[in-house]
Amino acid sequence: MNRFWNFAGCVAVAAFVGAPTALAETPTDTLIMARNIDAISTFDPAQIGEVVTNEIVLNICDSLVEIDPEDEAAVVPSIAKDWTVSDDGLKITFNLVEGAAFPSGNPVTASDVAWSLQRVLTLGFGNAATLTEYGFTAENAETDFVAIDDATFEMNLSRPYPVMLILQAIAANRVANVLDSKYLMDKEVDGDLGNKYLTTQSACVGPYALRQWNAGEVVILEANENYYGPAPKMNRIIIRHVAEAQAQRLLLEQGDIDVARDLGAEDLRDLNENPDIEVVSAPMHQLYYMGFNNADPKFADDRVRLAFKYLMDYDAMSETVMAFLGMPRASVVPLGALGALDEAEGQPFSLDLDKAKALLTEAGYGDGFSARLFIGTLPYASPIAQHVQENAAQVGIDLEIEQMANAQLFSAFRGREFDTVMLSWQTAVPHAHGMLSRHAVNPDNSAEASLTMFPTWRASWFSEDFNRRIDEALFERDEAKQIEMYKQIQRDHMQKGPFAYSFQLLDTAALSKAVTTWKWNAFRAYYSDVEKD
Amino acid sequence: MSASDPAGLESSPHLVSSLRWGRIGGQFLRTVVSVSVTILGLLVLTFFIGRLLPLDPVLAILGDDASQEAYDRMVQKLGLEKPLWEQFLNYVWNSLQFDFGTSLTSGRPVIEDILRVFPATLELATLAMILGTGLGIPLGVLAAANRDTWVDQFVRVVSLIGYSAPIFWLGLLGLTVFYAGLGWVGAPGRIGIVYQYDLEVRTGLYLIDSAISGHWDIFADVFSRIVLPASILAYGAMAYISRMTRSFMLEQLSQEYIIAARAKGASRSSVIWWHAFPNIAVQLVTVVALSYAFLLEGAVLTETVFAWPGFGRYLTTALLRADMNAVLGCTMLVGLIFITLNLLSDVFYRMFDPRTR
Repeated sequence: MNRFWNFAGCVAVAAFVGAPTALAETPTDTLIMARNIDAISTFDPAQIGEVVTNEIVLNICDSLVEIDPEDEAAVVPSIAKDWTVSDDGLKITFNLVEGAAFPSGNPVTASDVAWSLQRVLTLGFGNAATLTEYGFTAENAETDFVAIDDATFEMNLSRPYPVMLILQAIAANRVANVLDSKYLMDKEVDGDLGNKYLTTQSACVGPYALRQWNAGEVVILEANENYYGPAPKMNRIIIRHVAEAQAQRLLLEQGDIDVARDLGAEDLRDLNENPDIEVVSAPMHQLYYMGFNNADPKFADDRVRLAFKYLMDYDAMSETVMAFLGMPRASVVPLGALGALDEAEGQPFSLDLDKAKALLTEAGYGDGFSARLFIGTLPYASPIAQHVQENAAQVGIDLEIEQMANAQLFSAFRGREFDTVMLSWQTAVPHAHGMLSRHAVNPDNSAEASLTMFPTWRASWFSEDFNRRIDEALFERDEAKQIEMYKQIQRDHMQKGPFAYSFQLLDTAALSKAVTTWKWNAFRAYYSDVEKD
Repeated sequence: MSASDPAGLESSPHLVSSLRWGRIGGQFLRTVVSVSVTILGLLVLTFFIGRLLPLDPVLAILGDDASQEAYDRMVQKLGLEKPLWEQFLNYVWNSLQFDFGTSLTSGRPVIEDILRVFPATLELATLAMILGTGLGIPLGVLAAANRDTWVDQFVRVVSLIGYSAPIFWLGLLGLTVFYAGLGWVGAPGRIGIVYQYDLEVRTGLYLIDSAISGHWDIFADVFSRIVLPASILAYGAMAYISRMTRSFMLEQLSQEYIIAARAKGASRSSVIWWHAFPNIAVQLVTVVALSYAFLLEGAVLTETVFAWPGFGRYLTTALLRADMNAVLGCTMLVGLIFITLNLLSDVFYRMFDPRTR
């Protein structure tokens, strides 16, 4: 008996110490990515609001144009092979590619383009704001989006908006994903224009097609063999739901996945030292910020809001909690957007408790005050909030942190039921107007207006001056002058704006050495360009 | 009618039979009423929890960016503007038909989602329960029979660790050692990507499905992936069951009938397994049933660490996304699980304890 246990013990120890752990290999024609895909709730481009689904849908549904993978400030043809602009700047005419067909076999026509844009307005989900912001309305949709013939589509503008802005904001956006109108109308239920069908399936044309989505489990895309454009390099893209960052890391290190998308700062720091893994980052046009309820007299004072910008050690946070996840940014316009302040001028703040105290005293709050701080479930939300809380306490401000589900957080913010709040905002446009139009403009601050899509309205902050200057900058034809106008607006917004921005968020991925080409920018990853050994 | 049989029962076999059936009928009726009242209570509770939580299902559908007009339209579409009593009646009527509406997080009917994710948890929890019970009961008995010896101390320490170690931490540790370090178990996830298309899903229990179809390579893959999360869940269950078993057994072993049995010359093992153990069986049924119910309710953390597409994760995600249809559907299911296991416990009580018949 003793000999048996000795033998068993030896086997166990040998296995523990010396067992060779062969690394797995993923198939060469398949990209396997681990990502938290809990947020996916639909594949209808009119309804999608999450970053993860946006990236997927832009790889399965082509829009009129797309953001240039090499230069995110430019656009390149997609379903539209070229376009012209009328002299008065009120009409953009798109000529469509020939020979493109949907998986159903129906040809892609201008009618599909017009129908797709019109349905976004008709359905009225959050994405409709992308169009209404530029004067398009459900009532005028049929005259604003017109199919001249099968190969020619016309977009009529109410004002001469900068063409590049319209191309970036609308033509390259998911709202201009071209859908198979005939097929979807056959699938219509209770006048939903195919919304129910598109919840779990796709009816569009792109380099990949949605093969399978099991909520909270996996998304499988397969190469579209009949794609009119260049054939994608990978035959299959598999996005596995792995919510836990540590599990993602183990899978990557073991070679069971090619890409990990939701790693934390600690894991990324370690993996960055691993020669078999490459850590890549792309600055997103998404800012993490603190909002203040200006209906409260103390937060309506510019000096109080400004004081909060001196309550964070931005550099220390970016090297620890936000390593690989964000870079300090105080300007409302993200780095990389047209008209953005440069890195130094866009982040003039640092931890300065004396300055904060002086500002509070000047505003009449030298003895401090108490306020609630609402935060969501982002992994860095709590450490950042605690950091601010500790510093705030030193200048007499008692911040009571309340962490809640994101849906609850949004609800409180939209309902103006908060004191201060921390969350992020993303724009789909690499242009200063993308952020300013929501974070500095507030057309009507009255409660009746219910302009809940404007964070400025949610914060009860209104400035006629900013409304006017942003409108003037938007229609300034001299680009150099326009950029200078945007820069001045940012400088003023940093001093008087309703929000305290802290970080421009980074999209960071860890790639196995099998991945030789990974192309992405602030707005999307290009799956069709991925290459593996 | 004899003096010793004042009711005359002995002389009337038909009456005895009808009284017996009457008792069974009465018991059945009481059970039906009790279950119906419990389900109604559950419906009331889930409905009002759904209304009281500060989560907005309209925003969950439309997105944070939606205009007020779109918001108001959706409120009407979902019927949220109707009086509460009318919403409740609709909810009860639909729930009784197992129609919990469409999940906002998956876009599919909630019942379809539940039928998809529940087998994953059922498979995991059942395997964990078999392991946990199979190890927990003998260990508990062993510890009680060897009270205050090193065996008892060892079982108590092992149980204490299983009882108090965070399951999230145990999961990550297990993955680091057995998956990444030794390569003994499969990667997180329920099935390998290469087998995703090959398995014909019949019962939703992948071990059984792969065995039925004779795909033993898939069976091996699925087993290599389930064994670690099931073992970790089993460890927790084992810790609880062994501690309870030890405690019940110690109580029995101090009874006089045990001393009498020993005095009559019954062997130690015979006394433990044939005299004492049957007397703790009833209590163990409750312990095992409760452990099983808690595992079925959803091992959220284990499912998260092991990327297991199960019921617990589905419910948690639904809750965080304000997907109230899914939350209510899941809550109903959890209630039904507890009711079913309670009923089963009652059946087992009657089997093990003649006094309850």
